[in-house]
Amino acid sequence: MKKRFLNARSPLRLLEKGLHGGLGPGNLGVVIAAHGVGKTSFLVGVAVDELLREGRVLHVSCSHPVSHVRAHYDTVFEELAHEKHLENTGLIHGEIDRRRSIRVMPPGTLTPGALHDAVKVERDASGAPSLIVVEGLDAAEFTREDLQDLRSLARELQAELWLESSCADERHVSVPAGLEAQSDLVAVILALEPGDGAVGLRALKDHDSPDVSTLHVSLDPRTLLLVRS
Amino acid sequence: MVDLSRIRNIGISAHIDSGKTTLTERVLFYTQRIHRIHEVRGKDDAGATMDFMELEKERGITIASAATHCEWAGHHVNIIDTPGHVDFTIEVERSLRVLDGAVLVLCGVAGVQSQSMTVDRQMRRYKVPRLAFINKLDRSGANPQRVAQQLCDKLKHNAVLMQLPIGLENKHVGVIDLVTMKAVYFDGDNGEQIRVEDIPADMQHEAEAARETMLDAVSLFSDELTEAILEEKVTEELIHEAVRRGTLSQDLTPVFMGSAYKNKGVQPLLDAVTRYLPDPTEVENTAVDLSNDEAPITLASDPNKPLVALAFKLEDGRYGQLTYLRVYQGRIGRASSIVNSRTKKRHKVGRLGRMHASEMEEIEEAFAGDIVAMFGIDCASGDTFTDESIDVAMSSMHVPAPVISLSVKPADTKSQDNMSKALGRFVREDPTFHSGVDKESGETVISGMGELHLEVYVERMKREYNVEVETGAPQVAYREAIARRAEFHTTHKKQTGGSGQFAQVSGYVEPFEGGEFEFVNEVRGGNIPTEYIPAVEKGFAQAMEKGRLIGFPVQGVRIVLQDGKSHSVDSSDMAFQTAGRKAFRDVYPKAKPVVMEPVMKLEVESPNEFQGAVLKTVMQRRGTVVGTTEEDGFCRLEAEVPLSEMFGYATDLRSCTQGKAEFSMEFSRYLRVPGEVQDDLKKQFGSRVVVDDED
Repeated sequence: MKKRFLNARSPLRLLEKGLHGGLGPGNLGVVIAAHGVGKTSFLVGVAVDELLREGRVLHVSCSHPVSHVRAHYDTVFEELAHEKHLENTGLIHGEIDRRRSIRVMPPGTLTPGALHDAVKVERDASGAPSLIVVEGLDAAEFTREDLQDLRSLARELQAELWLESSCADERHVSVPAGLEAQSDLVAVILALEPGDGAVGLRALKDHDSPDVSTLHVSLDPRTLLLVRS
Repeated sequence: MVDLSRIRNIGISAHIDSGKTTLTERVLFYTQRIHRIHEVRGKDDAGATMDFMELEKERGITIASAATHCEWAGHHVNIIDTPGHVDFTIEVERSLRVLDGAVLVLCGVAGVQSQSMTVDRQMRRYKVPRLAFINKLDRSGANPQRVAQQLCDKLKHNAVLMQLPIGLENKHVGVIDLVTMKAVYFDGDNGEQIRVEDIPADMQHEAEAARETMLDAVSLFSDELTEAILEEKVTEELIHEAVRRGTLSQDLTPVFMGSAYKNKGVQPLLDAVTRYLPDPTEVENTAVDLSNDEAPITLASDPNKPLVALAFKLEDGRYGQLTYLRVYQGRIGRASSIVNSRTKKRHKVGRLGRMHASEMEEIEEAFAGDIVAMFGIDCASGDTFTDESIDVAMSSMHVPAPVISLSVKPADTKSQDNMSKALGRFVREDPTFHSGVDKESGETVISGMGELHLEVYVERMKREYNVEVETGAPQVAYREAIARRAEFHTTHKKQTGGSGQFAQVSGYVEPFEGGEFEFVNEVRGGNIPTEYIPAVEKGFAQAMEKGRLIGFPVQGVRIVLQDGKSHSVDSSDMAFQTAGRKAFRDVYPKAKPVVMEPVMKLEVESPNEFQGAVLKTVMQRRGTVVGTTEEDGFCRLEAEVPLSEMFGYATDLRSCTQGKAEFSMEFSRYLRVPGEVQDDLKKQFGSRVVVDDED
């Protein structure tokens, strides 16, 4: 399959359709799931989709070394390329590697200010990211001011900024109390819930829409990649 | 016979300038192998004993791993001094293969640097248990606690402080031993007199807390120690035993400290080497059984079993050709008969010796577990010797292909002979160094793993063989490959005068990712007689030796031969070989030939404020940033950069970071060059191939 067909047929388009256009530039999104369900894999899937659409991704990790994060991207890409019989994989892999930047910051050092500095370095050297993934730090631990700053950064860059958050109940995910109070700053909140044979993806918040039941997609439980339902 | 439990084969390995050569020098002094201390860049013109090559003396770096041995506390310790510069990692890897344990030397100021990481990765790969020695505590800014923490964070070691420093920088006078809970001072002109006293009162509390932390970590490896802690009956023996267990399983890295230069902390480190690092019987070594389809077999460190020994290093020294051997099993004696399992040649052992840098001490016999030198036997580095009763080889060591080459020409004709002699020796000594003659230009070309690697050999030719050479510009070892499948249908016909030639071949070529060359025969019904198939393969292989795009070898191609025709009189091996060559020449432009270039894995460490500047140096060189890790005000950038863009990098990096950044580099893989670079290369090499670009 050629890359342009892969993009048009990507299950990520279903996510966008179910979410009134997806997260959208300048917005914050949070994915919530119990520990080990696959938040990071899901976000790497979203990032690889952005990279395949010529976007630029900054992946900030507070929990894993660079090699680990890179291996995650390689696995997702190889899985996708294999499943969709993508042509010219070597070349495309090289291209997306060039547009992705991984930045590891030890826990406790990732503040909106530090992220701002990191983005500036990236922007000066290679270009501003269109998607930022922050992984390994719970969104519920950010203060209101932090989230406001992060949203300003997303707006300034016109980038989508995804965060993650953990919850205790694996099958009935809800917005953690720490995040609930700040949910007005977050455009999209998604829940990942393992079900029978697949991992379900449910919207807990979809921009200003009162109806959050239009999203019906599921994830392959093995790869955590979106599948067409 | 030697008691194997009292042998230690160790390496001293670390980042350049961490002081490992100085440390080795002190070890030799305290073990009374030398009677005077020389410094690495000594004013006394002697240089450190282990840095015995002229060039190393001048540059203050260790290139070749000299082997030496010493005695300490009734133990026989063989030491391999391993090089620190990344261009010589084959030396490090080769040494690690024959070691049973190692001391990882870290600078007390700079801490864990990029090269320490490379070396540590290599040690992990060869499962070498290690101790850490934090050196240079006399320097300003030394902080052993921070370095130990880096060992945990950056190298993921379970590092445990076995000592505390008494004073730092110019106040560094000794260490506190957390096992004996005593203060140890090093008196005398060269620190040779050890004075043990009570812990200074102002450090008592700190020492108790550190001991508790140490016991907590160490007790995980011994139930007896845990019980003894609960019953408050801890003995030194119980602690030593637990530390040893943790070290051998590589789950614990005991950390020692001092200043080799100021003669502090070396003797306790030697005690630790004999106490905690394994003897040869405690390390499992495997070989492959050549008489049983290369099935792996475990060797026993038993002197009564058949001999298995590995030649891990060759040198031409004042005693002639000298081969460093690690005996894994059995025994080897003077005048005994041994067989090289690669060449099957039988040799008679002449002189046998223990090497102490460039001096030798002759011995009669060596046993399993020992490292010795053998004279006058022609072999290559990595060869296995046996006593003929078994046919085994130590598994092959990973040797990367060279990525850079340089043409060399002696400045005068008289030097030609010496140059050949020098190159012959270097090639035998170092498997990553190659030398050959370019068929077209007739020039001698040397190739290796990096700019500095080749530069060192050019210098050695000058110093050791008195050969002044002129060098050409460094040439990157490009490769050619194909990007798509294409079919061939080629006839070779010559029927003018004499006996005729006829051969016809058809099939297709396609990319063979991850492999070099594969030839698949799918001819059915005898259209090409079986005896001619190898000739077709040979023809293709010959044509691939030099690609027509820019003249470099073609790799990553699968050739599938499906059909063909032969003639009962005019077909021959030669005709089918020619048809194979012609077929490849015909099909190559249709298969979208591409140029591949060696890409290096680059790691740059710099203070945070320079990360933008460092990032730019990578982007300007067509590099791909893999990631950035920020830590303690420092930032480590990992990237992949084409080798062709890395010439002169050290200077650029120095100038844009005020000399505060450092980098290490090693070969990563071959990658396709971008279109515009390919066009430039085609112009540069005068390619005449018109690539059929139609999709």
